[in-house]
Amino acid sequence: MASTNDSKILTALKAAGTDYFLSVPCKLLGGLIESLEQDHSVQYYPVTREEEGLGMCLGASLAGRLPCILMQDSGLGNCVNAFASTLQYYQTPMVLVISLRGTPGEKVGAQVPMGMMTKDLLALLRIPVLHCHHGEDLNELETFAHHARVAEGPVAVLIDFNLAESGK
Amino acid sequence: MKRCQLLKNIKAQMNDALVVCNIGIPSQELYSLGDQDNYFYMLGGMGLCCSAGLGLAHNTAKPVLAIEGDGAVLMNMGALATIGNCAPGNFTLMIVDNGSYGSTGDQPTFTSRRTRLAEVARGAGCANVVECRGEDIAEPLDAALQSAESTVILVKVESGNEKVGAIPLNPVIIRERFRARVQA
Repeated sequence: MASTNDSKILTALKAAGTDYFLSVPCKLLGGLIESLEQDHSVQYYPVTREEEGLGMCLGASLAGRLPCILMQDSGLGNCVNAFASTLQYYQTPMVLVISLRGTPGEKVGAQVPMGMMTKDLLALLRIPVLHCHHGEDLNELETFAHHARVAEGPVAVLIDFNLAESGK
Repeated sequence: MKRCQLLKNIKAQMNDALVVCNIGIPSQELYSLGDQDNYFYMLGGMGLCCSAGLGLAHNTAKPVLAIEGDGAVLMNMGALATIGNCAPGNFTLMIVDNGSYGSTGDQPTFTSRRTRLAEVARGAGCANVVECRGEDIAEPLDAALQSAESTVILVKVESGNEKVGAIPLNPVIIRERFRARVQA
C-alpha cells in the first residue's frame, strides 16, 4: 500500500522534472513502486539489476529526460563502475532513490554491512546526498532532485527505514 | 568477415538511426570508419550499451540501433529480459558475435563453446530474433530498422580487431552533439 510519504516523494520527484522511472525492488520502496505502476503520467519500467538501470538512465538522459532509479542500498554496491566510468564520465543528471537498510529496527542481519557503507560509498563517488529521516525532510526533495540538472550528475535520496515504515 | 568490415558494410544503412556502440575496439573501429553525430560511443561501462540504447529508444520516436558484442551481452544478460518485455518498436539490438573478448586480447567467450545468445534472447522474451552471418547482414538490418517491432539480430563474424587508436573526443562533447541529434 502506498503511504502519504510515498505520494509526497513521487509528487516532489515529478515536480522536479523527473519523468522516467526504473526500479529494482525493495520491500521499503514497495509502496512507491506500486504508485509508479499505477501512474500513467510517467514512464516506469522494472529492471533486472541496478547497473542495467543506470545504462537505461544514460540513454534516457541522452533524449533530454531526467531519469530516476529506485534501489536498495545493497544495489548501490553493484553500481560503482557504472557511476564512475559511465554516468559521471558523461556528466549524466539523474536521481537515485535508495532505501537505507540495516539500521536499528532492521530484521535482516545481512542488510547491515551495506547499510553501514552506503553513505561512505556515495561520498567516495562524490554523489550529493539528501538523507530523509522524517516526513518533513521530504520538503527538500524537489529542490534536491532538480539539483541533478544543475550539477550535471547523479544525486541520491536516502530513505530511512523509519520514514518508509511511517505514514502507512 | 571480421567486425570492422561488418561495420564498414552497414555504415550507410545506419545513417538515419541513432547508434549506440559497444565499449572498446568496436567503438574505436566505428570512429575510424568516419565519425558521425548520430554515433554515441560507449567509453566506459561494459555491457551497458544495449541498456543505454533501450533507455534512449523509450524516449525518442527515431530508430535506435545498439551495437553490442557477445562478451558485453554475457556481462549484462538480464538486459535481454528487460528488452524482451519492455523494448519499444524503434529499438534494434545487433549483437556482433565473434566469440571473443576483442578489446582485452581476444580471449574466447562462452559463445565460442556452448552458449547460444539467440536462444538466450528468445528465452528472455525477445519476440523477433534473427540470426545471420556477417556477409548477410544488409537485409535483416534494413528490415529491423524499418520494422514497427523491436528486433534482436545476432550476427556471426570472425574474431579479430583492426589496429585503431583511442577515440580522441571528450565524453561531454560526444554526449552534447548526440543529444542535439536526438532532439533535432
